[in-house]
Amino acid sequence: MGTAILMSLRNLRQGGRRTVLLMVALAMVTLLLVVLNALAAGLEATMLRSATTLSSGHVNVGGFFKTTAGQSAPAVAEGARIREIVEREVEGADYIIDRVRGFARIVSENASLWCALYGVDIAEERGLRDVLQITEGTLDEIAKPDTVLIFAGHAKRLEVKVGDVVTLSAPTMGGVSNTVDVRVGAIARDVGWMSAWAMFLPKDTIRRLGQMRPDATGAVQIYLKDPNRAAEVIEALRPKLAAAGFRLMDPDPRAFWMKFETVNGQDWVNQKLDLTTWRDEISMMLWILTGFATIRFFLLGLLMLVIVVGIMNTLYMAIRERTREIGTMRAIGMSRGGVMRLFLLEAGGLGLLASTLGAAVGSALALGLNAARVRIPSEAFQAILMSDTLLLALNPVNVVTAVAVITGVTCLAAIAPAWRAARMRPVGALHQVG
Amino acid sequence: MQAAGPIVVLEDVHKDYPLGRTVVTAVRGVSLTVQRGEFMALAGPSGSGKTTLLNLIGCVDTATSGRVTVDGHDTARLKEKGLTKLRLERLGFIFQSFNLVAVLDVFQNIEFPLLLQKKLGKAERAARVNEIMERVGLSKQAKQRPAELSGGQRQRVAIARALVARPALVLADEPTANLDSETGERIIDLMRELNRAEGTTFVFSTHDPKIMNHADRLVRIADGRVVEGTN
Repeated sequence: MGTAILMSLRNLRQGGRRTVLLMVALAMVTLLLVVLNALAAGLEATMLRSATTLSSGHVNVGGFFKTTAGQSAPAVAEGARIREIVEREVEGADYIIDRVRGFARIVSENASLWCALYGVDIAEERGLRDVLQITEGTLDEIAKPDTVLIFAGHAKRLEVKVGDVVTLSAPTMGGVSNTVDVRVGAIARDVGWMSAWAMFLPKDTIRRLGQMRPDATGAVQIYLKDPNRAAEVIEALRPKLAAAGFRLMDPDPRAFWMKFETVNGQDWVNQKLDLTTWRDEISMMLWILTGFATIRFFLLGLLMLVIVVGIMNTLYMAIRERTREIGTMRAIGMSRGGVMRLFLLEAGGLGLLASTLGAAVGSALALGLNAARVRIPSEAFQAILMSDTLLLALNPVNVVTAVAVITGVTCLAAIAPAWRAARMRPVGALHQVG
Repeated sequence: MQAAGPIVVLEDVHKDYPLGRTVVTAVRGVSLTVQRGEFMALAGPSGSGKTTLLNLIGCVDTATSGRVTVDGHDTARLKEKGLTKLRLERLGFIFQSFNLVAVLDVFQNIEFPLLLQKKLGKAERAARVNEIMERVGLSKQAKQRPAELSGGQRQRVAIARALVARPALVLADEPTANLDSETGERIIDLMRELNRAEGTTFVFSTHDPKIMNHADRLVRIADGRVVEGTN
């Protein structure tokens, strides 16, 4: 095996410019694969961060309260009891909070906008503290009654600053309209697209606006140590909540605010719980990930095809040049399998070397771009990527996978030429001229 | 284990090659026996069928008709794997153009058949290769690549490679054709010496009268037929 590897490496070196060009091409494709994977992972990480900061836990136990069949609010009674069950039954939780949910028109002196409201106890909101970058005021202001944290985009549209008063106007549980004046306590930097329609207030302010009971909440949000366990946690939690006497909605992988029409169309009244994952809550935005993955798939597929043709062409040329050597080795006693292995090893070696090089450069590029905190110039792209800076999440598993995929594709591309080399008749190969 | 009887038996062997719409007959009804330990030359002009005969004996080609028996094996009955095994374990080849592996050095080229055989450990292989390099006078060139050697040195490497696995029969196709006459004679002398010392059978082709005089037995071929020295 050592000699076969040595022969492969030396034959690659013998290939000269042809080998170098092919290596560069393979390295470039690997680089692209690593960077695009990092960008996709960065996008997903940003989405996860935005979603779990602004509107969702990894798992949410929310629900709807209906005073009549056709009128619902995103609230559940007995919030404390639900939270107690969740805290008792869920294993692997990092921390658990509950938020009151609502919708309101925010009216300033010069403008107004519709926004989702999240009632929070700022003391227990670890995620918000970690992620929000407050540009004006302080986060602790939101602990005071009748205050609101808004984002830079809101401040710009409403033309308000910290200390200004805005009016919240929303329908109550009883179906009449109610208003509450709140003071802008803090302004945070935008967290991508999702921050465009989220504001944070003390829980009681939203309860007062919606005329909810003191134990009402919007959702108990569970933050897991391993977010990938979200579906498993829901499966375990559903029977426990049902056993505690709560009615449960059928699983519906959509954000809670997309379900009003469905819920209002059902003939039940009072309350039903709805369990969702963070993915459900941002399902409407998964098209970004899907779209990006599709573009990535076609782009890389096309490049792979070019690489496959390049590898096959190079190997066919190498086999033609080394026909007599193949004949000699077959005459000496090398088996067909041995010849095939020799060429597969050569292609695999080329793929491994080039992809390792490409992955190393791609990783360095991704790390460099992250360190440079490259600003995304277009606001539209900022909204789509949910960040104002380019974030590339470099995952070692993705890097190793990229190397493995490119090496694998190179080996697959080499099978046909290697097979042809192996099937050569020794006598014909030995007497090949030219 | 060495089988009894002749090492090669050809019985009424024919070999035809298709060439476009015509058929070219390279060997016409050759019957020939080679005894173990012989140092035999196949002589004849270019195109007489010498190389084809060596290819048939060397199991790299198959006869159109007739029977070729090598080291007790009817080659027509052997499948691809069997033929490869026979070549690997019982035959050695020396080619007119040396046919060394360009990317391997002298030591590695000579070691190559032993690696394919997978019978010896690293130390035993090294001992065997060093011994044969010593015999063919290449010890100082062990780390050199073929491109760095003279024609005579390359052919010595080829001889060492053919002999390192201790085959029963070595086939050499015009081993001196690409060498000057002095070097050619030295190569034949070396082959002769190894034939005597190891008892290895040598069958080589040549059209050089000086070289053919070194053989114990001379078989002349013309137009695909044996015209002199059948048995």
